[in-house]
Amino acid sequence: MEAMPTKKTVIKDYRKIIIEKYKEHVLEHGHSPASVYKFAKELKMKEEDFYTYFTSFESIKSAIWLDLFHDTLVDIDKQEAFKEYSSREKFLGFMFTWIEVLKKNRSYLLCLYQSRARSLSTLPKESGDFKKAFKDFAKDIVSEGKESTEIAERPYLSDKYDEALWIQVWFVFRYWLEDSSPRFEKTDAAIEKSVNLAFDLMGKSALDSFLDFAKFMYQSK
Amino acid sequence: MSDHLKEQQSIPTTKVQRAAKFISTGAKVGGNYVKHYAKKMVNPSMDREELHQNNATDIYNSLSQLKGSALKVAQMMSMDKNLMPRAYQDKFTMAQYSAPPLSYPLVVKTFQKYFDKSPDQIFDTFTKSAVNAASIGQVHKATLGDKSLAVKVQYPGVSDSVSSDLKLVRPFALRILNMNEKELDHYMSEVEEKLLEETDYILEVRRSREISEACSHIPNLSFPTYYDELSAERIITMDWIEGSHLKEWLETKPSQTSRNQIGQALWDFYHHQVHNLKQVHADPHPGNFIIQKNDQLGVIDFGCVKVIPEDFYQGYFALIQKSLLVNATELDQIFFDLEFISDRDTPEEQVYFKAVFTEMISLLGKPFHVDKFDFSDDGFFERIFELGDRVSNDKLFKKSNQARGSRHGLYVNRTYFGLYNLLNQLQAEVITTKPDWLK
Repeated sequence: MEAMPTKKTVIKDYRKIIIEKYKEHVLEHGHSPASVYKFAKELKMKEEDFYTYFTSFESIKSAIWLDLFHDTLVDIDKQEAFKEYSSREKFLGFMFTWIEVLKKNRSYLLCLYQSRARSLSTLPKESGDFKKAFKDFAKDIVSEGKESTEIAERPYLSDKYDEALWIQVWFVFRYWLEDSSPRFEKTDAAIEKSVNLAFDLMGKSALDSFLDFAKFMYQSK
Repeated sequence: MSDHLKEQQSIPTTKVQRAAKFISTGAKVGGNYVKHYAKKMVNPSMDREELHQNNATDIYNSLSQLKGSALKVAQMMSMDKNLMPRAYQDKFTMAQYSAPPLSYPLVVKTFQKYFDKSPDQIFDTFTKSAVNAASIGQVHKATLGDKSLAVKVQYPGVSDSVSSDLKLVRPFALRILNMNEKELDHYMSEVEEKLLEETDYILEVRRSREISEACSHIPNLSFPTYYDELSAERIITMDWIEGSHLKEWLETKPSQTSRNQIGQALWDFYHHQVHNLKQVHADPHPGNFIIQKNDQLGVIDFGCVKVIPEDFYQGYFALIQKSLLVNATELDQIFFDLEFISDRDTPEEQVYFKAVFTEMISLLGKPFHVDKFDFSDDGFFERIFELGDRVSNDKLFKKSNQARGSRHGLYVNRTYFGLYNLLNQLQAEVITTKPDWLK
């Protein structure tokens, strides 16, 4: 009990230590530890102490995803030009930065997700928290885009735009996992092209005018 | 240099159309086969010649409609075979890979990859959108201290797409040029090598510097300074050249003396490169030149440089010598050396092709046969096109299934044709200097 005053910092460290050790284990063995019991033993901590921080390996993985996302946001904050970007540029900037952050953890991510890369249409469960945080971020971008009329307001559809951007994030992640070009140049091109397409589709286009016209013709009959 | 590029706002329709074009050609070619076999059931003696002709026509029609894209490569390779079809006028540049402008975040990312800094951290000012399209990237204008700079940034993944685009062209090229695969490869590898070189910005900086230093003594020419410490594999930083493009300059109605001065500088520039340096800026299209104050010619973009091998040089220019056109045995030897004719040709073909090439060379060599040549003579160009059209429609020419002309000829021909074309646009009269041994 005499350790009380320093306990706070200890708590923080434990969370970090568990994450680091978990990554290490995955990197060295290519998979998650066999059980929480075994992993806790490796960490020289009691199993029940482990549960104070995480409830399962899934929740560690989830925390790693979330950390990567927060690291990206911190990086973006440091980029001065970011604030002046249009919505499209902001999203591009986010994707480029995110992939940079992922690069530092590529081996870890490859271990866990490469074999599943082709079937990632069903997203891993542990990405749920990341998804929630990302969607908040995406909503901000979308609503900003709507304000500047970069993104067209469409009934029903425009509420789903954040979902569309989320799918795009997974598309890019999958692409990046399998990318073998030097400096992941192809991923850069994939981001650039897919984001441009997405924002072109979300922006006002010939389709809107066509629907408007069709509606007019139908109603004026 | 003021055309402000609009960043892409819509799906590139040309690409969609291009794909559609491909599909419709495929359908037509398929249709031709169906027609062929239907006819054959009725008339078993029908030969395949008609089928080939139908196919060739359909493919060629669709190709000639396709602007841009790697299919230009196919047309480019048809240059030697079709001598000078009209399509030759178009610029055969990497502009065929015209990609939509890079977004600013991608530009920032590219900078961070190579310099660990964003453009605003390196330069005092840096334009967020491109001020000009370069061949396979785009140009931003920047300032640093009292210097104005042009910064060229390349689209990621271009070098990878070169090879795959060429593969896309192959089946079409095979069909159109009526060559066998081995012979096609002979040209393909030359084209691929050059296109890949264009994506190597480090090489470009080195060559730009070499050539501009070697040409610095030529009057009325100027070159930008290149900055190594601000250049990398995908980024080139050089001085911003103030001035106007050829077209804009011509609109200001410059005097004949001015036009001649620019034309002469251009001729001297190429003369020195071809005959003395034996390596040449092989992309003489208007976008690579800027006309500055006092009628000075600024040369930018050394992406495509062709090194001319000595033995090719000897043969090629010996042909241009006026007197040689009379000496038949010597001429035969050169034709063999330059691969215009080969021992696989029938005697009939040999006679035919010799006649064609002799006519072509005497026409193209015309500027070399006089001391001063007036490139404003449109009749001269008409005769070249007329010859090209006539020959490429000749049955004997179409039927021959051999690659003709040395691979080195591809880019040297393009250089000279581009040069003639520029001089024609300038309507300039030029003293056509030639090396002593050619006189």
